[in-house]
Amino acid sequence: MSLTAYLTLAALVFAIGLFGVLTRRNAIGILLGIELMFNAVNINLVAFARFHGDLLGLVFTLFTIAITVAEVAVGLAIVIVIFRVRRTVEADRLDLLRG
Amino acid sequence: MTLETAGFWVVAVVLLASSLAVVLTPNLFHAVLYLAAALVATGVVFLLLDSPFLFAVQLLLYAVGVMAIVVFAIMLTERLVGERITQTSRHLVNGGVVAAGVFIGIAGFLIRVPRSLPRAPLVGDATPALGRALVGPFALTLELLGVLLVVALLGALYFARADE
Amino acid sequence: MDATVWLPVLVLGLPFASFVLLAVVAPLRRAGRAAGAVSIAAIAAAFLGAVLVWSVGFTREATWTWIPADDGPTATVGVLVDPLANAMLVLVTLVSLLVQIYSLAYLHDERPPSLGRYYTFQSLFAFSMLGLVLSPSFIQMFVFWELVGLCSYLLIGYWYARPTAARAAVKAFWITKLGDLGFVIGIVMLWAATDTFEFRVLFALAQEHALAIEGLGTIMFLIYLGAVGKSAQFPLHVWLPDAMEGPTPVSALIHAATMVTAGVFMVTRAQPLFALVPDVLALIGWVGAFTALLAATMACVESDIKRVLAYSTVSQLGYMMAAAGAGAPDAGFLHLLTHGLFKALLFLGAGAVIHAVGTNDIFRMGGLFRAMPQTGVVFIVGTLALAGFPPLAGFFSKEAILAGVWEADMTGPFLMLALTVLLTAFYMFRVVFLTFFGRAPAAGHPHDPSWTMRAPLWVLAALTVLVGLRLALGDVGAHHGPGWLAPLSVAAALGGIALAWATYQRGVVDPGGLAATFPFSVVDLLARRRYGLDTLYAGLYRGFLLSFSRLIGWIDRYLVDGVLNFLSAWTLRGGDLLRHIQSGHAQDYVYGVAFGVLLLFVWSQWWPR
Repeated sequence: MSLTAYLTLAALVFAIGLFGVLTRRNAIGILLGIELMFNAVNINLVAFARFHGDLLGLVFTLFTIAITVAEVAVGLAIVIVIFRVRRTVEADRLDLLRG
Repeated sequence: MTLETAGFWVVAVVLLASSLAVVLTPNLFHAVLYLAAALVATGVVFLLLDSPFLFAVQLLLYAVGVMAIVVFAIMLTERLVGERITQTSRHLVNGGVVAAGVFIGIAGFLIRVPRSLPRAPLVGDATPALGRALVGPFALTLELLGVLLVVALLGALYFARADE
Repeated sequence: MDATVWLPVLVLGLPFASFVLLAVVAPLRRAGRAAGAVSIAAIAAAFLGAVLVWSVGFTREATWTWIPADDGPTATVGVLVDPLANAMLVLVTLVSLLVQIYSLAYLHDERPPSLGRYYTFQSLFAFSMLGLVLSPSFIQMFVFWELVGLCSYLLIGYWYARPTAARAAVKAFWITKLGDLGFVIGIVMLWAATDTFEFRVLFALAQEHALAIEGLGTIMFLIYLGAVGKSAQFPLHVWLPDAMEGPTPVSALIHAATMVTAGVFMVTRAQPLFALVPDVLALIGWVGAFTALLAATMACVESDIKRVLAYSTVSQLGYMMAAAGAGAPDAGFLHLLTHGLFKALLFLGAGAVIHAVGTNDIFRMGGLFRAMPQTGVVFIVGTLALAGFPPLAGFFSKEAILAGVWEADMTGPFLMLALTVLLTAFYMFRVVFLTFFGRAPAAGHPHDPSWTMRAPLWVLAALTVLVGLRLALGDVGAHHGPGWLAPLSVAAALGGIALAWATYQRGVVDPGGLAATFPFSVVDLLARRRYGLDTLYAGLYRGFLLSFSRLIGWIDRYLVDGVLNFLSAWTLRGGDLLRHIQSGHAQDYVYGVAFGVLLLFVWSQWWPR
């Protein structure tokens, strides 16, 4: 398969993830969307690395995965704290920063 | 149609279908399961791209690690709220238009990619080279990443701990 | 570094060390009398050093680089030790020492922190004045010139809680600054023309007639302006009487004996330069003589004992300046020294009187000689010296000035000065008769002050007599003038005394009636209004400065602030309008990011390159 095929696949997954981030009401659901977007990026990195024969993409993918795990851990901890304080994980109701 | 091509189409369908399910299913728990499927499918894409090591990492870290954390979070919030979390969506049309716009934007770049770009020849197994790179030029980055993980986990612990 | 250098530097450094100590170590300063002890010890040691320098007769110049430049230093600091500086060193340290001792008793009702502040300023003043005296260059002199001005401001405003004192301090500061402005411009112009600040180089140039630079007259006039402000010459003399709001010892030290003579000292120091511009010298002489006469008339109608002495100081400074202008700076300088002694004596004596009776008004005193005989004796000694009565110190120096002015063929100034001799005797004995003789007012039990105040008085009185005798025996005054001069001035002085006696002691002449007859009525009227100068300055100040300030204030309030208010109001309005796009929902922000990304896509794909 050509590079374009992989990139298109990744772009689709990215768009779907973005859609999830934009439309989900539940904070955990938003996080799931973000995970999808990360995956799309990883696919891109690996595909470029493979097609250009460059190891760097693989290394970066590895780092991205590790950082993502950290991000998920912290993000979910925050969700739990918010839940504990506000009794909700509905993103619509979390508007303390409203101007 | 080679095996790789066939595999790609199958994986692509699975990946897209499960991704859509993640963002559309009303049941949060199901969404997590679909995400697991999407992650595994991504891993298979890595395998198709001759990166078995990343496939393993994807499975171990993501599909297992992330899933475990997410499920824990759901269980916690669900237990506290005392009812099943059914999630709803907002502004579906708006989100769809914007997401489609972004996709079209990316596609604008994709059509410029030369279709005939050949795969670089496979130079042996990439895994040993990856290992050497990680302890060679990227050793410092790797260490910092380790620190980051520890800090993140400690931070998560701190956030999520029960109030004394 | 030999003794001729370090000893003057030590004399200069001791008061400075005392000042730094008192300024930095707050507990010591707040202790009050302990601070006074430190300051007095420092100035006493400096006095001994100064006496040593003077008696040995050091002559030395030592300079260090201050502002380095490629071809030699632009400016230097250092000490210039010569007979002129030596004499000033002794005068300054002596009067400082006596005044500081005197102040211990005079200000003994002050709170300790304020007393400490007083002595801190006193030390700073002693340092500044000594530095001025020792300056080897115009620029260093200017620095110390400003420092003494600062000390004057601080000490006039010592009782800063009194509005009059605070106002007088500000007035003194601004009016002297007016002169200093000319001074600094003159210095810089001179530097621009000759590339040096140093007296030695400038005098050498003057000697070789190499100083024929264009506009030297203007330059020297500007430099003279500094002296006009500092030495209270007409028309900038108005600050000195007001400066009497400060404590009396301060008036004795700063506004009689030392700081106000800085202008005379400067003109004397720069005499080789002034000698090149006869026009400016003549101006100095005329202004000096006019100041002497003008101030003397004002002293005749003043009823505040300190202000009488202040006008007398202005008058005597006019004498000194007239001498300098007549090309007899030695006579002027001699008068500076003797005047420093007996005017300090008079002020300290007046301080003792004020201390005893609690008022400055001479019409509310009287018969004090019986109550305070010691003060009375020394005050009369000072008065006789000021009136120019032989063989006291003032007689010879005033004589020398009159001779110098006469020999310079300046008839107009000479006549004014001779008339001033009469007036001086008159107004001083007016004070003496009104204060020490006549009927005593009923209130209070005035008595001689304690020994810390009496001792300085006696020392100064003794010195006034001794210096007079020394001058009578020796041949120090070089100007002898015509033979009729001495009898004339003594006669004038006696006439003044007799007039005062007749008017205020015997009551033969009615002062009110005398003042009402022409031409005295005009002078009396003008002098009582201080020749309208204060009013004129106040009017100018109100007219120009205040209206200008109002204009600036208006611009600031309505233009500058208006623009800022407009901007801030619209910033607020804008923020208020814009804040509604901050919904607080994270997803709305993601929409923003996505739109931004779309914009980037559009820009990168379709932007014309």
